[in-house]
This record gives sequence, C-alpha cells and structure tokens, in this order.
Amino acid sequence: MDVSLLISLAEITIAGAIINASVHFVPVGGAPAAMATSTGVGTGTTQLAAGAGFTGLMAAAAMASKVGIGGLGFLLILLSGAVGSMIMLGVTMLIGQLIYVFGVGVVPAADKCEIDPITKDPQKPYVTPGTTGHGIPTVCFISGLIGAALGGLGGALAYIALMNLGFTPAVAGMLAVGFFFINAVLASYNIGGTIEGFHDPKFKKMPNGVIASLVASLICGIVAVAMVL
Amino acid sequence: MDTTLIALGALALSGALATVAGCAEDLESDVGSQSNPNSQVQLAPQMGNIHRYFNKAISGEPVSYGLYVAVAGAVAYAIMQMGLNPILALILGAGVAAFVHGAYAISSYLGRIVGQSKNFGQPVYWDIVMSHIGPIVGHGFIAVFCMVLMAYLANTILGNPFPLPLIALIFGITVGAIGSSTGDVHYGAEREYQKYPFGGGVPVANHGDIDVKAEYGLRNGMDSSYFCARLGGVLTGICFGLIVFLDGWRGIIGDILQGGNVISASIISIVVGLIIIALLAIANRKVEVFARDKYGPYTK
Repeated sequence: MDVSLLISLAEITIAGAIINASVHFVPVGGAPAAMATSTGVGTGTTQLAAGAGFTGLMAAAAMASKVGIGGLGFLLILLSGAVGSMIMLGVTMLIGQLIYVFGVGVVPAADKCEIDPITKDPQKPYVTPGTTGHGIPTVCFISGLIGAALGGLGGALAYIALMNLGFTPAVAGMLAVGFFFINAVLASYNIGGTIEGFHDPKFKKMPNGVIASLVASLICGIVAVAMVL
Repeated sequence: MDTTLIALGALALSGALATVAGCAEDLESDVGSQSNPNSQVQLAPQMGNIHRYFNKAISGEPVSYGLYVAVAGAVAYAIMQMGLNPILALILGAGVAAFVHGAYAISSYLGRIVGQSKNFGQPVYWDIVMSHIGPIVGHGFIAVFCMVLMAYLANTILGNPFPLPLIALIFGITVGAIGSSTGDVHYGAEREYQKYPFGGGVPVANHGDIDVKAEYGLRNGMDSSYFCARLGGVLTGICFGLIVFLDGWRGIIGDILQGGNVISASIISIVVGLIIIALLAIANRKVEVFARDKYGPYTK
C-alpha cells in the first residue's frame, strides 16, 4: 500500500478523535437550557458542534481552493477551519447571552463550579433556585471557543485527508460532513445530555469518547481508502 | 468589473439574506413550536394544561432545516442542469421544500396531539392547523429561499468548491443550530413562562406549566411569534447574518490588503478572524459583568 494512503488513514483517524474531543468542550445545556434551567447554549451537543464544525469546514474548503493542500497550505487550511468554527460559535454564544440577559433577565452563572476559574467570580448566588445555572459565563464561553477551534481543525483535517486520497472537493465535503456527524454523535452519547465545558465533572469522561472515535474513525478511514484503491 | 468588488457585493447580499433567513427561521419555529421549547408544549397536557399551541417537533431544527434547504438546493440544482434560469430554479426549489415542510408540519401536529388525546384529554384543534400552516410554510419558504440563494452565491461568486445541494445542507444545519441556540431561548424561557416573574430561569418543578392565556383570549403559536419578533427573532437573524458576513469578510479583507499574494492574504484573514473572536469574548464578558452588577444575586 502506498505510504500516502497510510498517512491519509492516520489523518482521518486523528481527525475523528479531535472532533470527539471538541464536542466535550462545547457548553450545551440541551432542552433545559432553552428554558434557562441549565447552563450553556440551549441546543443539543451534536447539533451545535455540527453547526460550528460545518462553518469551519466551509472556511477550510474555501481556503483549500485558494492555497492548495500542500506545504504551508495544510497549516492555513487547518487554521482557517478553526477560526471559521470559532467565529460561528463565538457569535452564537454572544447572541444567546444577549437573549438570556435582556430577554429572560438572568445572570450568566455556572452550576458545576463555585467560582469561575477564569474570572474568579462567585457563581452559586447567581443561580436561580431550582435550576442548574443559566446563560454562558466566561468559563463556558472560553471552553466553547476551544471546542469550536478543535472541531473546525478536526473537520478541516478530515477534508484534507479525503482530498489527498484523490476525492473531488464535492465528494470530500460530503464524506467530511458524514464523518463529522459520526464522531459528534459518539461524543454526544458519551456526554449523555448536557455539559458546561472543561470544568464540568463529565469532561473527565472524554478519554472514553476519544477511544470510541479512534476506532470508528479508523473503520471510516479504511472504507475511504478502499474506495480509492 | 473588479472581482473583489463583486465578491464584496455578493458577501453583503449574503449577509443580508442570512439576516432575513435567520429571523424567518426563528419566527417559523415560534409559530409552529419546534425544537427544545416544544418539550414544554409536549409536556403541558400531562401537567393539566390543555393548550392551543401548534406542536411540531419534526426533529431538531438543524436536521429539519438541513432537510428543507437541501431539498430546495437539490431541486434547484437539477432544474439548473436542465438549462432553466437560476433564479427561477431557486424559487421552484424553495417551493418544493415548502410542500415538504407543510407535509411534515401537519403530520407531526396530528401525530403528536392525537398521541396525547386519549390519556391527557388534549383536543386536536383543526382551526389551529388551518390558521398556522400558512405562516409556518410562509416563514419557512422565506428562510429556505434566502439560504438557497446564499448557497448559489457562495458556489458561483464566493469561490466555495462544494456543490449547491451540499452548501445548502450546511447552511440549513447551521441556521437550525443558531435558531435553536438563540431565538428559542426567548420563546422557551420567557414567552412560554410569562406568568412567572421576569428575571429567573424556569425551575424544573415548573416545567410543563406553560402559559395558556394570551394578551387576549387563549394563546396560540402566532401570539408567540408576535412576541418573539421583538427580540428573539431579530437577534437570531443578526446572529446568522454576522456569522456569514464576518467569516466571508475576513477573507476578502485579506485579498484587498494582499491581493497578489495568496499566502499573505490567507494569513491576514486568519489574524483578522482571531481579532474578531477576541472582540466577541470581550463583549461576552462585558454583558456578563453588566448582568451581575445590574441584577445581583438571588436573595431567596
């Protein structure tokens, strides 16, 4: 087997693990967050990570069509994917925050930590009794940005690997979207509902998800390589 | 004409279309009650609250909008391959997607409400179906048409290498993720629970105890849409518009500053993107500090 095929296989496998890890950073409160009953963005883990990841994937694809996928272009595509994804999630979290503060009238407060590890602000007194926090405090925002960066980077890496295998941008894009969903759903099962970010105790479960994604991505990679053989 | 100028114009148009699409998408999900806040509409009859809300959680918003916009994009792409005018093809594609949307909306309302009728006494209000389906499909058509036109611009002018249906699918998933993350909070945390005092999250014990009375008479989905159009819908539109505009703008700024050198232009676009992200984080912190100072901790 050609060495370049093995490199692509390794890239796809690593990309899957990165995507899985990224989802654990994104602060999602699921359905309860839509009622300001839990901290984080009010939607599902997979859906928000996919929305951010696909914006990054489009940014990466646009960059790839400009600079090519070799040499410095490789790095630029990864960075462009990460930045595109971070812009999407950053704007979404900020606008969500505006609705929490001005539309619902709650103070952003995390439930999984006594004080915000970044700003050192106390959190518990600002949590509405009977809820597990609400809004997007700074620690969640920063965690979300890290998650978005990793998600965009993982999606871009998978796209580059698929392009290197010889797929056209159209087919590589479609496969990357499906591949992203597989790993985001695996992460979602590992999280099991809601997560506030890297300060949440559930974050410690991340290695299990990453291992699952490594296996799933390896299988996906073998199928992708088999398609071009 | 200068290609950069055309790209900037296409980007500005895309940003405007995204703003309209985001707003229409969120208001459609308020009229039809979709996504996370609909869990409360679904729960209400079990808590003794018989309601006249539309009940339409076909799936999560990203998946359902991904489907509609991808259907529109695929149909438009097929019609364009037959040699028809692209704008006409996009309109026809969005029209087909509107029929798909309508079929899912009615079947999901009937399925969900009938499922609750026997055990919890929730009636099927046929007048709600007939009066709401127009605004649902209409708002959906506006959102889908704007996004499929954006996908066309991205494909033909802004240099996106993906085919039209795939870009359409990605835009649909993104707008759904944004709509359910931003505007739905205004509907779920505020509008559905207006009878509780302003300024707090909804405790788990109150879930399902939604407000069934409107400003006048019994509340339905259109009352919610009227209310959410003041903040949730508008901010959702601004959110999607900003994402599309800022992400494209950083690339064009790079081209303008370093038109001849692709690598330098790309590096500039990444640096501009990082500056935008830093500004977003600062703005978020400012809003957080404002809320903490203005509202203070809960005293009881």
